Amino acid sequence: MATKDIGPKNPVAQTGDMVVDYVDHRTGAKTGLNWFLNRNIPAETGWFQTLGFTALALFGLQAVTGIILAMYYRPDPATAYESIRVITDDLTWGWLVRGMHKWGASAMVVVVFLHMGRVFFFGAYKYPRELTWVTGALLLVMTLFMGLTGYLLVWDQKAYWATVVAVNITASAPVLGPYIADILRAGPEFGPSTLSRFYSIHMLLIPGGMIAFIGIHLFLVSKLGVAEPPWSKRLQMVEREKEEAKRQAARDRLPTGRTRVPVRAPDHPPLRTPAPTDTSESATTPDGGGS
Amino acid sequence: MPEKNDLDDATAPYSGPRAVDPGEPEPRLEDDPDYVTRTRFLSLIALAGGVAMTAAIVVPVVGFAVAPTLEPEPPRWVDVGPLKDFPDGETTSIAVAGPATESDRRVFIRRRDDELIPIWNRCAHLGCPVAYSPGGDVFACPCHGGAYNSRGLVTAGPPARPLDRLDYKIVTPDGKDVALGDAKDEDRLLIGVAYSIDEDEQSFTLRGPGESVTGVLRNLYPSPGA
Repeated sequence: MATKDIGPKNPVAQTGDMVVDYVDHRTGAKTGLNWFLNRNIPAETGWFQTLGFTALALFGLQAVTGIILAMYYRPDPATAYESIRVITDDLTWGWLVRGMHKWGASAMVVVVFLHMGRVFFFGAYKYPRELTWVTGALLLVMTLFMGLTGYLLVWDQKAYWATVVAVNITASAPVLGPYIADILRAGPEFGPSTLSRFYSIHMLLIPGGMIAFIGIHLFLVSKLGVAEPPWSKRLQMVEREKEEAKRQAARDRLPTGRTRVPVRAPDHPPLRTPAPTDTSESATTPDGGGS
Repeated sequence: MPEKNDLDDATAPYSGPRAVDPGEPEPRLEDDPDYVTRTRFLSLIALAGGVAMTAAIVVPVVGFAVAPTLEPEPPRWVDVGPLKDFPDGETTSIAVAGPATESDRRVFIRRRDDELIPIWNRCAHLGCPVAYSPGGDVFACPCHGGAYNSRGLVTAGPPARPLDRLDYKIVTPDGKDVALGDAKDEDRLLIGVAYSIDEDEQSFTLRGPGESVTGVLRNLYPSPGA
């Protein structure tokens, strides 16, 4: 066939292409990835727009280190602290992986806030990206909740009392607060199932929600494209053209939007034709007034 | 020679088929928005079945996750030792099993002037453990600076109400209740359920930390299961 003449001649590369084409023809994977990754972006896209991926990368770090930590951690009040001690002191590179998970959590909170600040100051949340902002806000809440629930798992004095206070802050919310606090701590006070409940929320419930919302968030980013920064040359040109058109319209005295009532200097005080007088018996007026 | 037909003669009258005005189409049942077609009926059945099956999974799961946590602490009496461990004129700190050991509940037994008050160490602000300092005879919270006097009434800081207290009773070794005045050293002290108090030491059902028992703010929270 004629199409054999184009493309790589290397048989290995040809085989690779065939495999990719085979998969793409049946799944659309290559087309989909192409749609997702190879997008046109504004000319001025720069380092500021990398914060979102940084947050995603940190989520990946937390997921990977968390999965491995779960292989050694025991979510039981009697053994949790000791298992953390073993991870930190005894196991090879346990201190490293636990350290990555702990500091990665703080880094993720920081980066998520920086990402939100970037979106806010660029005005990137505006039409049509409002729902991207909403899903991002939910992801922020879930990130913070991951930090809260993960904090207790260490089960040392600081973790314990900090979480007691955090749950009691939740309880002080009006009306629903006490119920939510009871659900969180599995009873009126901390008990044997509080730790496993936090563990389940921390490693199953919230991550599931986060993965779902990260998917929606990324789909929307891909669908709507990257927003232009406020200093975008194209954006400035559009603004300038708008401004220019407005001024031109003003010059042409065409009303644009709200029209101004022109301010006029007062004329000479009016003086109309003279009134009839007695002195002349045949007073005539040029415009026939009074007749 | 070909036969002559009508098409060759432009003047001949047209004899072919003619368009007929169809008139108003026959009204169909499925065009009526209120009429339930088979498709619509089956869609509704599928939707209702899906809702029922989802509910059959979600309702028990959520109920199982939530309902057991909302049950109040069961009342019971905890023996904390003979009365001679709590000498007159002193405030003694002891650990008392709460609903579970994980709740780390501690109680100060304040025995003065023929009066015994078990004071819970849970700060009425956000639940940190308050400490008793014998020098000033005061309770202080390490978290946010809540301060209480000898009887657990708020003297400074953010707490919304005084420290909670617990019911107590004194039982002789052969199991009879006695009043504090008649009790002997070997009689046992039992600690019961906790309750909240206001500034006038009127008792209320137990509230969570941060909840007021008096004033307008009391209405922000549901009454605990009574």
